[in-house]
Amino acid sequence: MSANPIHKVCAVRVENLDDLANGFALALQQLPTLLPSTLPPQVVIKPNLCDITAWETGVTTDPHWLAILARELRAIRPDVRIRVVESDAISAYKSHRSCDETFDRLGYLTAANEAGVELVNLSRCDAIEILLDGIPQPVRIPQLLLEEFYFISIANLKLHVYTRMTGILKNTIGLLTDAEISSLHSHLSILISRLFRLCSPDLCIIDGRVGLEGNGPIMGRPLRMDTILVGNDALAVDAAACRLMGISANEVAHLRQTARDAARNVRAFEIVGDFRPHPFAVDAARIHPAIQAKFANRRVHQRTELFSNRWIDRAFRFREDPVGFAKSAFSKFTGSRRER
Amino acid sequence: MSDRLRLGVVGGGAVLERYHIPAINAVPEVVRSIVIDVDAERAKRVAGRYAFPHSSSHLADLLRYADLAVVLVPNGQHAPVSCELLAQGVHVLCEKPMARSVPECLAMIESARRGNAHLAIGHNRRFQQHMKLAKQLFSKGLIGEIINIQAEEGSTSDWPRSAAYFDPAISGGGALLDVGIHSIDLIRWFAGEFDQLEYQGNGTEKAVESDARLNFSLANGAKGTVVASRTRNLAQKITLTGSEGFLEVGLWWPSVRIRCTKGKAFHNFHRLDAAVPRRPPADVSFVDQLRNIVSAIRGEDEVLVNGREGMAAVDIVSRAYHGGASQPATLPNFSEAER
Repeated sequence: MSANPIHKVCAVRVENLDDLANGFALALQQLPTLLPSTLPPQVVIKPNLCDITAWETGVTTDPHWLAILARELRAIRPDVRIRVVESDAISAYKSHRSCDETFDRLGYLTAANEAGVELVNLSRCDAIEILLDGIPQPVRIPQLLLEEFYFISIANLKLHVYTRMTGILKNTIGLLTDAEISSLHSHLSILISRLFRLCSPDLCIIDGRVGLEGNGPIMGRPLRMDTILVGNDALAVDAAACRLMGISANEVAHLRQTARDAARNVRAFEIVGDFRPHPFAVDAARIHPAIQAKFANRRVHQRTELFSNRWIDRAFRFREDPVGFAKSAFSKFTGSRRER
Repeated sequence: MSDRLRLGVVGGGAVLERYHIPAINAVPEVVRSIVIDVDAERAKRVAGRYAFPHSSSHLADLLRYADLAVVLVPNGQHAPVSCELLAQGVHVLCEKPMARSVPECLAMIESARRGNAHLAIGHNRRFQQHMKLAKQLFSKGLIGEIINIQAEEGSTSDWPRSAAYFDPAISGGGALLDVGIHSIDLIRWFAGEFDQLEYQGNGTEKAVESDARLNFSLANGAKGTVVASRTRNLAQKITLTGSEGFLEVGLWWPSVRIRCTKGKAFHNFHRLDAAVPRRPPADVSFVDQLRNIVSAIRGEDEVLVNGREGMAAVDIVSRAYHGGASQPATLPNFSEAER
């Protein structure tokens, strides 16, 4: 664990809401290695657009980021293709929400036009279902992830009633193309950890000019924090966001899981700049008992499901190819005995 | 005549019961009409079991009762049966291989042209979900320029075989024509036309080969090998290696593995295993194959594996059997009318 480098996270005060560009420029001055000297032909930006709510509430990402990032990226590579991605979702009111509508109503269409970047609804893109270790069902990801790109994730500084906080790591859930992902909720921490390996952001920005305390990620109360956090490592930036909000990163299951899987210490990061923590008020959340049970019993649920799936899979493999199955089982058995 | 196409089958053997009946069940655009088999008893039994109102041992009866025929007879009968039906205007879905030789294929194409009928060849694997996915991934250039292709398919006991399979006069070929032609068709579909061929097989004048190996180069410069066997259990997969990764596609299992050296997802993962539905109610490829020709007849779609495509695969096998020296077959002038 000690071999891992200490990741730096830059904290910048942005007291005027309209002063975002200067804030980001200051971050680049304080940590000049934030952006690379060369870029691949394609850059993908993933904002947090979890609801149709204005960015001033702290719920969604400010569309002004597009122009700011486009300018910086084009300074490195003028012909870079910049794509802003998001997928459809099931809204807090349990209705299907098209990402195209979200882009339109949150001002992303205009911002993208002005910045000369593309908006991509991942739910309408070519997808591929893949198997991820520890997730009992296939996960549908866009084929875009098989291509080469520089990945920027922009999240908000928010509490989350189920997962304690949401940030860069949880933002990657939006890369899944399916709107309905409730069946994956009981495996959320492992899923987030796997997505971190699958598509780890190269530049992580948490826009905390306006934070969200209470019942986040949507129903909370806006709170001016006047801070943006920028770094190159998602785990470090999320852990810094936890510290900024006055919660322990170890309380956040998906941060714990990701750190464990990556053999990292969730506290091993260094903050550069003006960092002024302020504890966020946590409401006694009224969570539906079924949802509470699902999250509380995550491990039990996951183990039983994995167990049954494994035996169903074996039965089908046996039916398709009994000889091959027997050979494979025998070689596994003899292999494990030899290891012993 | 109702909107539904009347469907007849020629040949009431195992392939009908195992693959085509579930497909017919899943395509409501066709209505079962007649089963033709040289064995009248078997035709009657199969027709009764699967609710075909008519049965016969005479091909001519099919002309009265069907608009579309699925031809499931031994290889040597593919051309004579299909030609007779096509020339009379009956659309044909003929099992692979299209025929034993290129002249037979040409005759089928010409009959389709004369009868103004659609001809589709049963290279069903192009319709498999994972093959479509693999084709899509390959076409995007994710693995770079194709360099090498390795295909292996073979088993000691995969299919109940009649004597027709082993007689060169009836079957026209052995492991390469029967088993390897799937890989040949897929390689053409994925990566383009074959160029140089070098064949090794253990066939004789009296018996078809049970093991075959075809070394080839493609017109785009890629090289590769197709290994087909009736005596050995092989890997049952095609591996396409490109300048920037590889794509591995299962021939018997719906598996797709991919690695793209530059891809974002591969910074931490050596490769990704795609998940493809494993337990559909019927083999979707046979369903989609039948739907494809039905859509073509209705003018809504093109036949995916038409006579020209079927003939190209047969041509490669024929050239391999004859030393690989001859030039690829070309269609005569009627090509524009061929569907």
